[in-house]
Amino acid sequence: MSTASDAIEPFRIAVPDAALEKLKAKLALATFPEEVDFSNDREYGAPLDDVKRLATAWKDTYDWRRAEAELNETLPQFTTTIGVDGHEDLKIHFVHKKSEREGAIPLLFVHGWPGSFLEVAKILPLLTSGDAKADEPSFHVVAPSLPNFGFSARTSKPGFAIRQYAEVCHKLMLRLGYDKYVTQGGDWGTMITRTMGKHYPEHVLASHINFVMTRPPSPLSSPLLCLQYALGWYTPQEKAGLERTRWYRGPGNGYTQVQMTKPHTLGFSLADSPVGLLAWIYEKLRDWTDEYSWMDDEVLTWVSVYAFSAAGPDASVRIYYEATHQPEDFRAVMGYNGKVPLGLAYFPRDLMVVPSSWGRTLGRVVYEKRHDRGGHFASVETPELLVADLRTMFGKKSGIGAKLPF
Amino acid sequence: MGSIIKPYQIAIPDSKIEKLQLKLSHVSFPGQTSFSNDRKYGAPLDDIKRLAKFWQEKYDWRRVEAELNKLPQFTTTISVDGHEDALKVHFIHQKGHKPNSIPLLFCHGWAGSFLEVTKILPLLTSTSSNDSEEPTFHVVAPSLPNCGFSQSTSRPGFGIAQHAEVCHKLMLQLGYDKYVTQGGDWGFLITRAMGFLYPNHVLASHMNFILSLPPSPLHTPLLVLQYLTGRYTPAEKAGLERTQWFRNEGSGYSQIQGSKPHTPGFALADSPVGLLAWIYEKLHDWTDKYPWTDEEILTWISIYYFSEAGADASIRLYYEILHPATTAEGKAAPTMESYMKWSTVPLGLSYFPQDVIVLPSSWGRTLGPVVFEKRHEEGGHFAAYEKPQLLVSDLRNTVQKVIGR
Repeated sequence: MSTASDAIEPFRIAVPDAALEKLKAKLALATFPEEVDFSNDREYGAPLDDVKRLATAWKDTYDWRRAEAELNETLPQFTTTIGVDGHEDLKIHFVHKKSEREGAIPLLFVHGWPGSFLEVAKILPLLTSGDAKADEPSFHVVAPSLPNFGFSARTSKPGFAIRQYAEVCHKLMLRLGYDKYVTQGGDWGTMITRTMGKHYPEHVLASHINFVMTRPPSPLSSPLLCLQYALGWYTPQEKAGLERTRWYRGPGNGYTQVQMTKPHTLGFSLADSPVGLLAWIYEKLRDWTDEYSWMDDEVLTWVSVYAFSAAGPDASVRIYYEATHQPEDFRAVMGYNGKVPLGLAYFPRDLMVVPSSWGRTLGRVVYEKRHDRGGHFASVETPELLVADLRTMFGKKSGIGAKLPF
Repeated sequence: MGSIIKPYQIAIPDSKIEKLQLKLSHVSFPGQTSFSNDRKYGAPLDDIKRLAKFWQEKYDWRRVEAELNKLPQFTTTISVDGHEDALKVHFIHQKGHKPNSIPLLFCHGWAGSFLEVTKILPLLTSTSSNDSEEPTFHVVAPSLPNCGFSQSTSRPGFGIAQHAEVCHKLMLQLGYDKYVTQGGDWGFLITRAMGFLYPNHVLASHMNFILSLPPSPLHTPLLVLQYLTGRYTPAEKAGLERTQWFRNEGSGYSQIQGSKPHTPGFALADSPVGLLAWIYEKLHDWTDKYPWTDEEILTWISIYYFSEAGADASIRLYYEILHPATTAEGKAAPTMESYMKWSTVPLGLSYFPQDVIVLPSSWGRTLGPVVFEKRHEEGGHFAAYEKPQLLVSDLRNTVQKVIGR
């Protein structure tokens, strides 16, 4: 039961001057690792030259106020308070843009780590303005900052796991008057939207995910998939995807191992060192994308959203601990759910890129696309591809649009 | 040619101490929650805040530095094949009181340092009893390259073999052609490598942190049988549980350090509080209720903070060990597992219950001829520091079995 008011307030990002000054003061005091022959070998982690260049720009030339103003101008933002069973009332920050078209489909867009609400920026204008004559659906888009991220509140009790994130997102849609809606997510957004599909099947009419997490085949439950695996009966793309997945689960998994076991220990570094935070996130922005040309300003805006977050830059990594210490919820995400029509997008430089036959164990797959370019942050790297997926999946003629009640 | 071995005194420049103070005065802590002090999640907020405040307001590095400078410290330069020609290595060297003292190399690990030798040093270089049989030791305790006051290494591929080479050449420079070794943490692997690489020089090796190959149906079927039938002592079972805890909940740091050391390196170099939390969590979790004083903790962390190479450099060893580099001749460098095969160097093994990997005794015996073995009821990972008497006793027993005195 929520004792909070149901009010929805408009929101403008307004980071206090003191926070900006503190950031600059810390950057001015920054101590970098000593240079060695291999300081820029990406195999070892974030390259020294890149991090130094970015840190210097952050300190001297990057204009947060300009970025802030642009975000406030282009992204219509709001806050509302949502109560969560067993936890507290949380102030939730979100982007909400309605389409002007009749019959637009309410769409919840859920980010992950180290993402944020920023990831909706490029797809927002496209999704809200589909061309009806071309069978392009339009969407009312809702993109929250998850609790402990962006400008949403920090949670204060242990055990705020995927179930709770799903509850917040669902209640947000209801608060906005969207009793029925569809979802799009990657990274933690995949897990959260899948959990929503499991617990609120009357409300979640379809889900599209661009990060396809499945269990590996087991001889007991999916013997044919095991046979396929043993015989190597995959397309070259699928084989490459499995290689990529192996890299992610092996050498690429160190950050997950720390975040899911000792998030607080890491948190002191993320909270106290802007350069440390920058390196921790920037390494992912490079390694997880498909040769996306990150502009320095873009990187710094992403990292600034963490640095200036309401919960603090350390809070977001707790999701790894909470989710993995509730293995039931985690397993449920990867099980079959036949109630929610599913759209799957595979991007080759994503982190887990499984064979299509594995993806189909997740549920009733009504749309599936294996792209030949793009990585983990699909809505940023290849927004046109992601939007095309959604337009096709939800088109009245091309997809399931005619079956939806909007 | 003059001796390259020079006496050394720690003398951290004022500017470094001032910068530390500035950073501490600008510290930003995580926001408080109801579970900020729940150790399962990592270093407790209250502890770190208290330690940071102490560091800023009361901790007197100059006084600690003066105390440490009472230890007999030196530096020398050592050439390492394929790496630096003249790598500066800092070390403690104290000769034993008795004639015919036995040379001993003490090898630290991460997040330790040469500090770990300080309590056992007097026990090894002199004897309390009038027992004329009991030997004393010439103790050599280096700062490993990239740690403490030794130089940083500049090329990739500075792995276990290179660390072993440095330690061995150090002993030779000091005139110790034959010696015994003592090590825990990375010291285990480094001294094992020394036994493989320099078998005519290493008389015996004592370890207080024992890694071994797991039982394999092909090579050690009896160990597999033992594992399947659960025929272990209660202490061994508890050890396996502790090891499982470490693997599941306690080794995230080694996963990131072993795959992307440069990434966390930025925070470790830049944030004293970040470094403090990163190491303090281990000092607590890896020890057996050791009553750390705040000053002790901050001194351990200060050795990393004020290190020659920088606080970020030491963690590269995790990466190098997991990615053995190909040598200049095109040979693959030995993997970590290869140092766990049978070696002919006589071994002394001490198992401390709160260490982080505590394997059954039968597994340890696959490492080589174990002349002495003891499973203790107290103590953890930093045995020489937590339980100096116990460790020295074990070491003496090991040496006695091999050398006869």
